[in-house]
Amino acid sequence: MKVPLSWLREFVTVDAATEEICRRLTMAGLEVETLTRVVPGFTDVFVARVLKVERHPNADRLSLCDVDAGNAGRARVVCGAPNVRAGMLTAFARVGARLASGVHGHGSGSLEEAEPLQAAVIRGVQSEGMLCSELELGLSSDHQGIVELDSDAKPGEPFQTYLKLPDAVLDIAVTPNRGDCLSILGVAREVAALFGCKLRPPKIKGVRISREGSPSEFSFDVEIRAPELCARYAALAMNHITVAPSPLWMRRRLELCGMRALNNVVDVTNYVMLEIGQPLHAFDLRQISGQRIIVRRAGEEREFETLDGTRRALQPDDLLIADAERPLAIAGIMGGRNSEVVASTQSVLLESAYFEPLSIARTARRLNLRSEASYRFERGIDRAGQVNGLLRAAELLGALAGAKPTSRLLDVEPRPAQERRIELKLSYLNSVLGASIPVTEVRKRLKFLGARVETGTRTLVVFPPSFRPDLNEPADLVEEVARLTGLAEIPARLPRREAAVAIVHEERRFEKRLRELMVGCGMVEVKTLAFIAAADNQRFPGFVSIEGGATRAEPARVINPLTAELSEMRLSLLPGLLNALRFNLNREATAFHAFEIGKVFTTVEGIPREQRRLAAISYGDYAMGGVDHPAVKAGFFTAKGILETCFRGLAIEEVSFEPAAPSLAPYLHPGRAAQFSVGGSMLGLIGELHPAEVLRLDLEHPCVLFEVDLATLMTYASRAAVTVNLPPRFPAVRRDLALLVDSEIAAGLVLATVQKLDVELLESVELFDVYQGESIPLGKKSVALACRYRAKDRTLTDEEVNRAHNLVIEQTRSRLRAELRL
Amino acid sequence: MREQLEQIRAQALEQLGDAATPEQIEAVRVRVLGRSGELTEIMRRMPEVPREERPAIGRLVNEIKTQIEERIAVLSEQLKRLAMERSLVEARIDVTLPGLNVPRGWLHPVTQSRERMLDILESMGFEVVETPDIEDDFHNFGALNFPPDHPAREMQDTFFLFGGLLLRTHTSNGQIRVMEQRKPPLAIVCPGNCYRPDELTVRSSPMFGQIEGFMIDRAGVITMAHLKGVLTEFLRAFFGPESAVRFRASFFPFTEPSAEVDISCLLCGGSGCRVCKQSGWTEILGAGMIHPNVLRAVGYDPEEYQGFAFGMGVERTALLKLGVEDMRLFFENDLRFLRQFRSGEAVS
Ligand SMILES: [Zn+2]
Repeated sequence: MKVPLSWLREFVTVDAATEEICRRLTMAGLEVETLTRVVPGFTDVFVARVLKVERHPNADRLSLCDVDAGNAGRARVVCGAPNVRAGMLTAFARVGARLASGVHGHGSGSLEEAEPLQAAVIRGVQSEGMLCSELELGLSSDHQGIVELDSDAKPGEPFQTYLKLPDAVLDIAVTPNRGDCLSILGVAREVAALFGCKLRPPKIKGVRISREGSPSEFSFDVEIRAPELCARYAALAMNHITVAPSPLWMRRRLELCGMRALNNVVDVTNYVMLEIGQPLHAFDLRQISGQRIIVRRAGEEREFETLDGTRRALQPDDLLIADAERPLAIAGIMGGRNSEVVASTQSVLLESAYFEPLSIARTARRLNLRSEASYRFERGIDRAGQVNGLLRAAELLGALAGAKPTSRLLDVEPRPAQERRIELKLSYLNSVLGASIPVTEVRKRLKFLGARVETGTRTLVVFPPSFRPDLNEPADLVEEVARLTGLAEIPARLPRREAAVAIVHEERRFEKRLRELMVGCGMVEVKTLAFIAAADNQRFPGFVSIEGGATRAEPARVINPLTAELSEMRLSLLPGLLNALRFNLNREATAFHAFEIGKVFTTVEGIPREQRRLAAISYGDYAMGGVDHPAVKAGFFTAKGILETCFRGLAIEEVSFEPAAPSLAPYLHPGRAAQFSVGGSMLGLIGELHPAEVLRLDLEHPCVLFEVDLATLMTYASRAAVTVNLPPRFPAVRRDLALLVDSEIAAGLVLATVQKLDVELLESVELFDVYQGESIPLGKKSVALACRYRAKDRTLTDEEVNRAHNLVIEQTRSRLRAELRL
Repeated sequence: MREQLEQIRAQALEQLGDAATPEQIEAVRVRVLGRSGELTEIMRRMPEVPREERPAIGRLVNEIKTQIEERIAVLSEQLKRLAMERSLVEARIDVTLPGLNVPRGWLHPVTQSRERMLDILESMGFEVVETPDIEDDFHNFGALNFPPDHPAREMQDTFFLFGGLLLRTHTSNGQIRVMEQRKPPLAIVCPGNCYRPDELTVRSSPMFGQIEGFMIDRAGVITMAHLKGVLTEFLRAFFGPESAVRFRASFFPFTEPSAEVDISCLLCGGSGCRVCKQSGWTEILGAGMIHPNVLRAVGYDPEEYQGFAFGMGVERTALLKLGVEDMRLFFENDLRFLRQFRSGEAVS
């Protein structure tokens, strides 16, 4: 809401500086977003009357004019404007005046740089100054003729005084609950309440309207068929209208408020809306047939052409204003092309109504058609302001367009407003605020807002004004008192706390550990958007971790995405990481080792699921590089090492890896991918990116990825209880075991088999070599294991160790059909 | 046999005399003293020696063995010393060369900020609770006093999902989720991502983090004064004790009275600059006393309970704290940008 200070000051006298007014409004919830200073773009320009106009002796199109600028003197000037005539009031720039826009608008726009106007000889005649167009005064782009002023202008008055300059425009961000502040009067009321000064609403005078039958040329009816959507409808017919441009002062005000001036009739309806908040509409009376206004739902009506020339699709519940035959307007939103006020209009029907906010909001949003009127109806206008608005408009139309009432004033109110009565306990108010505001202060504040207040000893009975539909219960009044008194007046206190143990969020603590582990492994944390292209979800379908395995999931799809590239919620964090990789490779990076912890979104049988995941990407030189030391390149085993480091760091034992089913991870290299699980639950996937993806992304090195389900990981991390043992007192003995097995048998299986053997004294088994090639038969491989034997209570003898080791050899051979390699 | 032994001794000592490397010494040791060495071989042949000579031969073997072992020890010691002296001269390195790269990563600046905020809030007695990103209309709007079609909804444009759900526009759904499950007293913070259909620009992102906090107890226990106290304490802990905090009336459907909370501009300290549009203040979070309609929606009696709630944007707060001006930097993941936050100290 743009509020010119000069207009505001018509309704409230406040002697505070502009900045202070802005600050107080902002602190009270009417945030002044910008304060624009409006300064005159001219000096030495005065209101003047043209006394006499003569033809220029040497030029047909020029006139010689005698002008009287009161105290500023008289002058004879040469003028080329077609509209100049004796008796008119206009703007006169005397010799020495400066115009930022310059003569004929050729100035630089800067007042400082403007040359002072000099007396000049034009076609042989001396001209002492000039008469100015709006363009030349920087008021508009109009250069058709010179400025024409209303009869209220006084010759000799400095023109900037006439324009109420300098001025300032406050642009206020009005919150949706404060429809009452979408008018100059509403903001003035707020200023009055904040500064404790008197409000002067506009007084309406000089309109004679019959409210009862009595003599009228035009009679009509209003029928409200949808009283639940239209609580009140007032209307008045006026004739003898001359449609013309509005006077300068009104056009200026509309423009300062961000509205375009059209003609006096439309401008008056807008002006009254800006002034007191009541939206109005004027129909061309000629177009209303059947002398009847019907307020009804669209029903069967399918389409309607609004006055902007657009055909709008209607829905049965949209509210229309119609006559006996056809719709004339979409109620509260926009009038129709068929009944628009045009240049030839001589009589109008003025409408001033109260429409149900939510109905207007629904229709306006669906049509994506927001007008200044609908904006106000949606937020709730004064429930009782309809007649007042109509009278104010009638008054202005009379003054500006010569309009005369030609009907009685119709005022139909099928649903009279209910008075609201709120009991506000002072104890409640102070217990919400944690303050002690005296009852006199509370009463004073509420009265300034226009509420009627009955005072009890501990309870105030408050009747909110009709223009504050947002005040319905005690909490609403508490807010009013708090913001008008100032939130700064409420003390700041810390709550009293019991010395209770803080509840720790285990998931957060766990993720913190995990992040630290990843960071320790050289991984940089990144953050990517959860929105993704459908194609990426197809390429990277993620996995759903459930007891006993994994299944495919459907993505969650966005109905109204920003772009097609962001139309689904990610099933996997991996596409985001690959994007980040590509982004960095395009910007000087040669290696990228990153991780993200975030949610993935799936729909399983229509039910949305959110799962937290850890995902990582590793590409390029990874570790231990230096001068003369080739770095370790990222590959399956560096990434697996990172995973294993995390598992160790979380004390999770026995994660088993097996080749990933290609259907589970189509984006991974089929020969270099694994799925891993713990305790029978799928934990995640790891592998090198599929060569086809490597090509698609134009990568030079292998790129390793893994993704882990955090809920599963956390379940097993928290299960790992720590048992404390003393360090062994007796030495262990190592015996190596080299086995020849079929080359298809995974080394992990060989190791796991030996680890699981139930052989006394066997403490641990480690894999230290896998070999295929020379001296190994085709189709076989050698797997070398280091077995450690130890007893708790003694040093083992060779003989004891040999016995145990032989047992291991024997059992391994039979279980794996392995041969011993010597 | 005796001559044979003397010959072994002489030969071994001679060879040790010539030995210049540890390998040559080891070769002599193995040949003479090893498991199948010359002396071992002699010992094996002991049964051939007449019984009365055996002690003398035995003593001789031991004598030779000891002598050679001592000799080897001395020689080894000498060689080691020589090698050490050589290494002092030869094994010099250029200490200015870079070390071998042991990998070490770091956390995203937004994570660093968020964790710091949560740490402070936890220390103030708030419990962290996780709530869903995918929500229904009731938990995101209806229960938070946004009636259908109400203009207040336009303050929060929404992503809708096929199937009737939506992406939460704020973490305020956390209030409803927690209150449905539990009874006061409550002191809760709900961190999480929120979504609104705004392009990724300098100031906005379609996905952003928020932290919702609320404290509820019996009527009169937790007041607006406590809201001011808690937020002032929190903001000073996060932004520095010199920060001024101001509360300004505002409107949110789910709080009443509502307040926007500003802190003194971190750049100019409150004197006014370009960043704060000369106001000296920066908007940092929204807050208020929980609206009675919200309490009613979860079945709390507003006569019985009252409390406050607040919500703040994680990225926005991080931008201010870190002095970063462009939101996009947080989601682009340009290593050249992220690297600056390696120490993790920027937000502590
Ligand atoms: Zn500043």
